[in-house]
Amino acid sequence: MNFEHRETWLHRVNPSVKLLAFLLYFIAILFIHNINVLINLTWANLFLLFAYSGHPYRRLLLYASPFLLIFISSSTAMMFFGEGETTWVRWGLLHITEESFYRGLHIGFRALNYAALGLLFALTTGPVRLFYSLMQQLKLPPRFSYSFMAAIRLIPIMFEEFQTLRQAARVRGGLSGRGPGAAYRKLRFYAIPLLAQSIRRAQRIAVAMEAKRFVSNRERTYYYIIGYSWRDALYIAVLIGSFACAWWIGTGWPYFDITDVRG
Amino acid sequence: MSQTVQHQVKGLKLVDILVTIVIAIVFGIVYKLWSPVYYAVKPFGFQADQLVYGMYFIASTVAYLIIRKPGVALLAEMGAASAELITGSEWGLSVLVSGIVQGLFAEAVFAAFRYRRSGLGVVCLAGVAASIASFIMDLYYNYIDDLAAWNLTVMIIARTISSIMITGVFAYYLVKALELTGVTNLVRPVSQADYDALENP
Repeated sequence: MNFEHRETWLHRVNPSVKLLAFLLYFIAILFIHNINVLINLTWANLFLLFAYSGHPYRRLLLYASPFLLIFISSSTAMMFFGEGETTWVRWGLLHITEESFYRGLHIGFRALNYAALGLLFALTTGPVRLFYSLMQQLKLPPRFSYSFMAAIRLIPIMFEEFQTLRQAARVRGGLSGRGPGAAYRKLRFYAIPLLAQSIRRAQRIAVAMEAKRFVSNRERTYYYIIGYSWRDALYIAVLIGSFACAWWIGTGWPYFDITDVRG
Repeated sequence: MSQTVQHQVKGLKLVDILVTIVIAIVFGIVYKLWSPVYYAVKPFGFQADQLVYGMYFIASTVAYLIIRKPGVALLAEMGAASAELITGSEWGLSVLVSGIVQGLFAEAVFAAFRYRRSGLGVVCLAGVAASIASFIMDLYYNYIDDLAAWNLTVMIIARTISSIMITGVFAYYLVKALELTGVTNLVRPVSQADYDALENP
C-alpha cells in the first residue's frame, strides 16, 4: 500500500518489535472472555487506527468498510444457532438465546479488534523495513528476506500479465458462461499461465542472484540499518496501557451484566 | 548413483525458497480476493461459507507438489498469510497465526510420508490436516463448541469436503496442468528416472 500519507510515530516503531507485540496482543485477546473488556479494547484499537495510521479519514473509512461485513458474518452463526438457556426467539432451526447473542457479539468484536490491528500494521509498516528489521533484529536468514522482497517486486508484473490475459480472452470472445464448470475453466485459464510465468521468472532471478555471488550464510552489511528507539517503548506502553484501561473500565463500569460469554 | 540422488534432495536452496515465496504471494493475493466470496456467503449462518474454506490452505499443497522438498508446505502457507497481512486483509492479524498453524499441520502429513509421496491421497490428507488446524483455532477464536450440535456437524462436514475438493483435488490437477507447461522440471529435485535416462539414451 503506497498511497500518499503522513508519517506518524507508529511508522518509526521497529517493525520486529511491532510484529512481536502484535502477536502477543493477539494471544492475549484470545483469552478475553469478558465482553465489556473486549468492547473497550475495540474502541482503543479503532482510535489508534484512525488517529495514528497517517492516512486520511475518507480512505481509512473505505479500507475499514469490510469491517462491518466481518462483524456481521463473524457473529451471526453463533447468534442464530448457538447453545444457550434463556430463549429469546425460536423459529424452526433458528434459536436465539441471550447467551448465544452476547457470545456472537463477543466474536464479532474480537474479529473487529484483529481487523483494526492488522490494518494498522499493514498501513504503518513498509515491507522493505519489515524484512530488513527481521534480518537484523530476529536473525531471519537473508535468503528468506531477500526472496520475499524480490517476490513483492514481481506483483505489478503479475497484475500486468493478468490484464493481458483478460484482454486476450475478451478479444477472442471466450470464457463466457456461468456455473461451477465455467468458473473452473476461468480459474484454470488465469492460474496456469500466471503461475508458470511466475515460477520461470523466480527461477531466473534466483540463478542471477547466485551468479552475482549472493551467499546467505556469510556476514552481511546492510543498506538500511534498522535500530530501536524511544518509540518502541512508547508503543509497548500504549498497548499495555490500553489493555489495562479496557480491563479496569470494563470490570468497573460494565455495559452488560456478563463476565464470561462461554457456555 | 542413488546415493547422490538422496544427497541432493536435502535442504532448501535459494531457488526453492524464491519459487516457494513467489507461489505463496500469488496465493496470498488469491486469498485476499477470495475473502469477499467467503463473507458474501457467510452471513446466513448456515455454514455455506465452509464449502469455499479449502481455498485458504491451497498454497501449502500446490507449493509442495511443485517443489517436493521438506519445509516447502509450511513456508508457502506462512508466506501466503504474510502477503495477505501486508496487503491489508480484513481478517487482520488472525491470518498470520492461522497460516503458521495450518502450514505446520499440512507439513506434518508430508513429513509422515517422508516426503516421498505426492499422490492425490496424500495431498487430500494434507488438506484435511490443515482443516483440523483451523478447527483448533476456531475452538478458541469462535467458541465453535458452543454451537448447536447440528450446526457444528454441518460446519465440520462442509469444511472437510471443501479441504478435500479444493486443497486436495483441485491443487493436484492444477499442478498436473502446470507440469504440461514444463516449469516444474526447472525446480524439482533430480529423480532417479532422470539419471536412468542419461545412462540409456
